[in-house]
Amino acid sequence: MSEFDVSRLTGAHIREGVVTGQFTAREVAEATLARVEALEPTVHAFNQVTPELALEAADAVDSSRAQAIADGLDPRDVLGALAGVPAGIKDNMNLVGTRTTCSAKILENYESVYDCTAVRRLLDAGAVPIGKCNMDEFAFGSSTENSAFGPTHNPWDLERVPGGSSGGSAACVSASMATISLGSDTGGSIRQPGALTGTVAVKPTYGRVSRYGCVAFGSSLDQIGPFARTVEDSAAALAAIAGADPMDATSAQQAVPNYVRAAAEGATGGAKGLRVGIVTDLLQADGCSGEVRAAVENAARIYADLGAEVGEVTLPASAHGLSAYYIIGPAEASSNLARFDGIRYGHRVEDPTDVLDLYMRSRAEGFGPESIRRIMLGTYALSAGYYEAYYGQAQKARTLIKQDFESAFKDFDVLLTPTSPTVAFKIGEKSADPLEMYLSDVYTIPVNLAGIPAISVPAGLCPSSGLPIGLQIMADYFAEETMFMAAAAFEAAIEFDARPPLRYESARGTRAAQEERR
Amino acid sequence: MAISEEQVRHVALLARLALTDEQVANLGDELNSILGHIDTIQNLDLEGVEPTAHPLETVNSIRSDVVKPCLSRELALKNAPDTDGTAFVIPQIVGPGGGDA
Amino acid sequence: MAKDRLAQVLEDWEAVIGLEIHTEITSSNTKMFCGCPVGFGGEPNTRVCPVCLGLPGALPVPNEYAVEATVLAGLAIESTIARWSQFHRKNYFYPDMPKDYQISQYDLPFCDGGHLDVQVGEGDGAYETRICVTRIHLEEDTGKMVHVGGAEGRIAGATHSLVDFNRAGTPLMELVTEPDIRTPEEARRFAQKLRLIWLSLGISDCSMEEGSMRVDANVSIRRPGETELGTKAEIKNMNSFRALHDGLAHEIIRQAELVESGGHVVQETRHWDVGAKRTSSLRSKEEAHDYRYFPEPDMVPFQFSEEWIEAVRAKLPELPDAKKARFVEDLGLSGYDAAILSADISLSAFFDSAMSIGGAAKAKAIANIMLNDLAAYLNTEAISIDESRVTPAMLVELVELVDGGTISSKQAKVVFSEMAATGDSPGAIVEIKGMKQVSDTGAIEQAIDRVMTANPSEVEGYRGGKTTLLGFFVGQTMKEMRGQANPKLVNEVLLRKLG
Ligand SMILES: [Mg+2]
Ligand SMILES: [Zn+2]
Repeated sequence: MSEFDVSRLTGAHIREGVVTGQFTAREVAEATLARVEALEPTVHAFNQVTPELALEAADAVDSSRAQAIADGLDPRDVLGALAGVPAGIKDNMNLVGTRTTCSAKILENYESVYDCTAVRRLLDAGAVPIGKCNMDEFAFGSSTENSAFGPTHNPWDLERVPGGSSGGSAACVSASMATISLGSDTGGSIRQPGALTGTVAVKPTYGRVSRYGCVAFGSSLDQIGPFARTVEDSAAALAAIAGADPMDATSAQQAVPNYVRAAAEGATGGAKGLRVGIVTDLLQADGCSGEVRAAVENAARIYADLGAEVGEVTLPASAHGLSAYYIIGPAEASSNLARFDGIRYGHRVEDPTDVLDLYMRSRAEGFGPESIRRIMLGTYALSAGYYEAYYGQAQKARTLIKQDFESAFKDFDVLLTPTSPTVAFKIGEKSADPLEMYLSDVYTIPVNLAGIPAISVPAGLCPSSGLPIGLQIMADYFAEETMFMAAAAFEAAIEFDARPPLRYESARGTRAAQEERR
Repeated sequence: MAISEEQVRHVALLARLALTDEQVANLGDELNSILGHIDTIQNLDLEGVEPTAHPLETVNSIRSDVVKPCLSRELALKNAPDTDGTAFVIPQIVGPGGGDA
Repeated sequence: MAKDRLAQVLEDWEAVIGLEIHTEITSSNTKMFCGCPVGFGGEPNTRVCPVCLGLPGALPVPNEYAVEATVLAGLAIESTIARWSQFHRKNYFYPDMPKDYQISQYDLPFCDGGHLDVQVGEGDGAYETRICVTRIHLEEDTGKMVHVGGAEGRIAGATHSLVDFNRAGTPLMELVTEPDIRTPEEARRFAQKLRLIWLSLGISDCSMEEGSMRVDANVSIRRPGETELGTKAEIKNMNSFRALHDGLAHEIIRQAELVESGGHVVQETRHWDVGAKRTSSLRSKEEAHDYRYFPEPDMVPFQFSEEWIEAVRAKLPELPDAKKARFVEDLGLSGYDAAILSADISLSAFFDSAMSIGGAAKAKAIANIMLNDLAAYLNTEAISIDESRVTPAMLVELVELVDGGTISSKQAKVVFSEMAATGDSPGAIVEIKGMKQVSDTGAIEQAIDRVMTANPSEVEGYRGGKTTLLGFFVGQTMKEMRGQANPKLVNEVLLRKLG
């Protein structure tokens, strides 16, 4: 077995190494699983690690390479775009052979009986499933503290949150317990943890990726997207999972462009002529830390240096984003979560006296406090007499937010904001006041309400804390190519390659210990 | 628009959540705090603005009427809390609801 | 009894009735939002998938056929078809609803308005009344529950229930009428006519027994001349047209007697108990309904173009009223015969098929056999026309044999029975049984000569004025000719020879 450090291998490296026979997919999988074994007890990125599925998938990649060679074919043409790439999967996506718990007690023992389209596509492209990633229960939260199975720790500082709700997906990539991962983003749940863990995190255009098989939170807001350590890997992962799906009536029919090529062009060609708008009103908003603001202003200067035309823009209606989001999201969620009733699956209370009692107590026992809060809020907002005042108004505010973006994209190709107003906060710091937590998503929420794509890329480390800061780059509907191009140009320019200062036994040492135990 | 304790209990019944008195009290406070923030939306003049139910302006997304394979009954019942091997078993139904299809 | 009592009550009270009719689109191959097959029965939970079981993460995709069928239904009753429409979620918990919300339609149904003109009563008391339709929308059906441990599988007294989701997600059209109906008979006629239209469109088997067509009614009473509506009760579980009539009649009487004795009607759902012949309250304390409708975010809206709507309209078949008019005006049938034939999809299709084979000139003769011999046969055998061995071509051939004088109409009845039993063609039956009618005058004369020779005293009697003996001679001659003589000719020759 060759020795290599999976934390220094990108997905592109892994595929190349597997294609050329430099190493096998099994070796990559084993090295990654060893790393998981070493780090997982401190990070807790996974609800379930899936070594059997991983090795089976890796072996399938290796044998299809062998078969290609035997058939006189070039493995490069035969193997998938993600051949051998270790991947984490958020625990709200179904995969047969795993439990899909949404980090909720009510689904603690739920076993998937069908595959989520995006996961299926990722695995069909050769990705190797390492495990199901921890998350805020039902994706309600921005810290992964709202998990029935305990919080995930930020690999950059184990006392801090990794962000959320896709905190496990972000942490496992950040800690190189996977090379890529899938998360879902309803109000920032991919981008905000991406920012807090120093990873690249993509929320595609609404409809770009099928939602089939991903447990719904806010159906008109949810999108699945990838985490990676490089823009190129995130582009390859999105290319693998994007595209129309007959099982999702809201999936878009548009052809999927070559995102990897767009990223490569950005990395080599800079940002000449790119029209970059810095969103000044959001940047000046209260609650945004000075260091985060400075990092974004620095990013704008970098773009100017790269030959971009940098200008200023405002998105005034985004001021209502939080209100609109905390009506629409919970309203849709309250309905989407009705099905967890203890009849067909999920937690059922002991000895219910009748069906009503079964419903009332199974749900009260099975849902955590934040789920209950959102279900209550959404039910109230939709209930008789309040619909127009809340849901009706929120939908109209959504129109204004959409119109702001449409007009901004007449003048600019991409827009810049911070991804999160602050760097990673301490575990427990914001859990007392739910509203405080909700404010973590002020920059990401308008993007979901409008449905446009956005990416968070590392914009350097915060000088005072040494924690990563994320830059959010937003693009027009289905303009993911422009988004990747702009992100790759920035990534190449700042040369961010810091890794979390995690201390762990070497993968080799762990494996030796493991073998000794046998 | 402050939410009363009685409303909290009504909403909890609609949502089928058995809340303790303590939960009712806490949720009342929390919801009022959140609503206090959200309520600003009610003061917006949005007269004449069309609502957006969906980010994309697509229409007529349909499927042709072609039969696809079903789940096996084993898989359909796999996660059932209680089953007789053919159907989902539930306790007696009393009280309100149902039959409105 | 109830009928007379109802008439009495309706002298003092006016009943106001609106119907809600749910019809499963049983002609659809698949369910409303998934690829599972639609069908009655099947082993429990074998026609299910992640979508119709409401498994976490599954999403609905609407069935093109069901949407078109609903629009076709709307066009048949002159609804306005929406140019812009969408599905909404109707939120409420019930164990037969996999997602605990029903995907239905709210303020933007596919079909808006419409009406049916209904003939009520026969003879002098007959009248026509127009019943307006509020809307038709499309939704998904629920699963089914079997209640165990109580009496007769009823929910009351059951210890537990078994839930089967095979039916869950079946496309379901819901039609709502305006409160234009005034009597149970009008309600029955409306429902029957609607069923006939749905059957003509081929969108549903409309079986009230199997629940693919379900009629619920809202009933209130008021004094004649009043314009305000009284408090209404909703009546469910009327599983046949008769039950619809009787359930409404009993409810109207109940309400009138209640109010007359100083009580008042409460708004509630009542269950028609066909055995006990009464409606009873279904729920003691009615939960205030709060369905929290909102636009279904898992789907996008529908935009129907003028061209598409017209293309659907072009698929409208001839509807029962038009069919009846054509039978009378073009084919010369009596109004009565035309009404019976047009009121049954299979009969009218059979008749039309016979017309296209045999031509309009045979219309009356064909209708005659169908409404007499065929109807009696089907009734005796208790089978439908589609199950019988009789085909339109066979009836045409039978009529041709009679018209051409090959067999008598009396023989035709024998041939009909034979062909219905065996499925053999009338020509073959006539051939095999040697039933050909003899119209050769020479042969008839010879036979009559033999009969007269053998019965000289009767000849004498007849000639002596006992003309009633003619029947005797006809019988003897027919016997001599083994029943195959043309009776008209026998008569003629006998009169000549005896005279
Ligand atoms: Mg309905
Ligand atoms: Zn299905």
